[in-house]
Amino acid sequence: MGNQSISKPELLEFIPKPSRLPAVPVDGFIGRLKKHLFSNIWNTLLTVSVFTLLFMLIKPFLDWAIFDAVWSASNRRECLNASPDGACWPGVIQWFNGLIYGRYPNDQQWRINLGFGLGILWLVPLAFKRVEQKILIALSAITLFPFLANFLFLGGSDNQFNYIVACVGLAYLLILYINIGLIYLDRKILGEYLEPLIGRFYQRRAALLGRLLCWLTVTVLLAFLFQNLTLLLVEVDSWGGLFLTLIISGFSIVMALPIGILLALGRRSHMPVFRWLSICTIELVRSVPLITVLFMSVTMLPLFFPNTMELNKLVQVLVAVCVFAGAYMAETVRGGLQGIPPGQFEAAKSVGLGYWYTMAFIILPQALRAMIPNIVTSFISLFKDTTLVSIIGLFDIMLMARNISIDKNWLGLHTEPLIAISILFFIFCYSMSQYSHRLEKKLKNK
Amino acid sequence: MKNMTKTLFIAMIALCGMVFSQVPASAAESTLKTVQDRGYLNCIIGNSFVGFYTVDKTGKWSGMDIDICRSVAAAVFGDKDKVKFNSVQWAQSFTSIKSGAGDLLSKGMTWTLSRDTSQGLDFLETYFYDGQGFMVRKDSGIKSALELKGATVCVLTGTSSELNLTDFNRTHNLKMTPVVFDDSGVRNTAFFNNNCDVMTNDRSGLAAARSTAPNPDDYFVLPETISKEALSFAVRQNDSAWANVVKWTFNVLLEAEELGINSQNVDEIRKTSTNPVVKRLLGVEGDLNKGLGLPADWAYQVIKQVGNYAELYDRNLGPDTALALDRAGTLNELWTNGGLLYSKSFR
Repeated sequence: MGNQSISKPELLEFIPKPSRLPAVPVDGFIGRLKKHLFSNIWNTLLTVSVFTLLFMLIKPFLDWAIFDAVWSASNRRECLNASPDGACWPGVIQWFNGLIYGRYPNDQQWRINLGFGLGILWLVPLAFKRVEQKILIALSAITLFPFLANFLFLGGSDNQFNYIVACVGLAYLLILYINIGLIYLDRKILGEYLEPLIGRFYQRRAALLGRLLCWLTVTVLLAFLFQNLTLLLVEVDSWGGLFLTLIISGFSIVMALPIGILLALGRRSHMPVFRWLSICTIELVRSVPLITVLFMSVTMLPLFFPNTMELNKLVQVLVAVCVFAGAYMAETVRGGLQGIPPGQFEAAKSVGLGYWYTMAFIILPQALRAMIPNIVTSFISLFKDTTLVSIIGLFDIMLMARNISIDKNWLGLHTEPLIAISILFFIFCYSMSQYSHRLEKKLKNK
Repeated sequence: MKNMTKTLFIAMIALCGMVFSQVPASAAESTLKTVQDRGYLNCIIGNSFVGFYTVDKTGKWSGMDIDICRSVAAAVFGDKDKVKFNSVQWAQSFTSIKSGAGDLLSKGMTWTLSRDTSQGLDFLETYFYDGQGFMVRKDSGIKSALELKGATVCVLTGTSSELNLTDFNRTHNLKMTPVVFDDSGVRNTAFFNNNCDVMTNDRSGLAAARSTAPNPDDYFVLPETISKEALSFAVRQNDSAWANVVKWTFNVLLEAEELGINSQNVDEIRKTSTNPVVKRLLGVEGDLNKGLGLPADWAYQVIKQVGNYAELYDRNLGPDTALALDRAGTLNELWTNGGLLYSKSFR
């Protein structure tokens, strides 16, 4: 430094730039229109041409679907006579019940409504702020609700085990709601009232035992209350419509995550048997189209079983769809796992956590949270993929819609039903994606 | 650990062995016995086929094939509702019969040599004679299939219609261009929107399609029939006891029509008739049921609950239905009226 000449730089003077004019306030709807759409001649031209194009595209559709459409008729011929170029909605309206419930007997459809109502009731507490142990509620919904639903939907009287588990589930739901009421009234929850009683005989774990005893009592009460209730047996063959679509997709969505997690962990495991079994399952299932897996399970499986054994088509389909969805989910989860920095594993190890604790409390929560968009994407595509079961003869919403065009009153009516179920599908899929956005936002704050 | 792997391995091999060893165990017992033990009949049909098997908005099946299945159930159990309908895809129909998932295949399937010989099926009787035809627009002025040179033809892919069309094309050197579809609804719409000049299908299918046209009178089915489509039902190969039951149940439908017995007058005739043939058929006299292994009133139940062939036809395909197929003068008349339906002797 010493030898270098030190020249003093000239000091620069700060000359402020003239400040910009304040933005012209855009006022009102017209002002905004002017600014964004008609600011200069090119924009005006563009706007006008785009709007003309849109008008030209949408006008014929609206004419067909709404303005020229027929809303009441008793068969397609009447529709065609009234308005040959319009949509014929009465067919869809008359079949609407069939689209929703499939071939389920009319006078038994309250059971489906009740079942889905209970399912929703079960999940509602998850949104309450003051409810604790939400994981337990979710777990109970996954493990107990299927039995309750099966009891309601299938009916029949020869399955004692299912009846008892259904009562256990119903008791849980009942206690859950009573307890929520008590919590919001700032009272003790049901099980705690039994605590002193149990404490007299058995001090340890009195709280837990109190709850269990309360659960058991309500279960027994319910089991006696409903013991004379026999629901008419509705065979799986006559399940259908949106109801069946929801059952298949709901079940496989619920099962896909655990299967996927296990397969993903297996694939990253250091034990060769598990690793190779997982890899084989994932790669085999992923490299085959869903329709092939379905055909295999429905057509090929019966060949391997004895003649007398009757395989339930729905069960075959559920297994096939679950394995398929699980394999895709495994790769999604694995993507999440690989995004976790190794520091996390090492940190967990250094605290002394074992494999399962590390996975359950450190790694998976982060991995799954990061993967929510992908997971929901595969749920949505799974929901839509379930329409493929119509090809193997399950009367899901797609096959019911196609059957409208074969009904003797509505012969040839196949565009309108497809549009109707597209709207239904849009509602379901869009709400799923909106829910995932909300979930992401909520989890980001944590 | 090593021990466990070994045990697992052996267990897996044993499991595979158990699963695969059960494959040939099926052929021993007659389907009739299996069906009677099970308490209901498993009938294999397709997804939907106007007039042959369709489901209505309350979920009830109806159609020609449905009634065939119901009549077999009526013969075996005396109750036409003791039947389950399994609708399967085309490719599945053969395996469903082979695997025993279905007892009776009645899905508007054409009786062909290759299906009879290589699919493990025995075709028994033909309940509907159909043939492939062409439908054109009236204003095209075409009056015969031989004038169709260079025309575009709407056809369902993978069906025998497509193959027959190719044959017809080659035989008469017509250079027609097929436009293939895999859904009959889409094919019909394409034809009605003038995307092709001609539509080809079985004549019953053409009649159904024509009735869905915006204006059916604009269309015209050409007189030529270019193929033989004998719609028949089938059962698993080499099971005579069961095949007899199904075959003779169908013969009851024909015999009843020939003798003028229908579901309305069967009770009356059963009481009053002095005709020995009628008495034998309705189980008043003789023991025709013994050889079949069915109850004495089996034929009576079929007629009482399902009807005779004419009733089946009128209900599902006749003038008052969507298909509106006229029976007179076709092959689907009784032999006494110049048709091909001929019941064997009830003796």
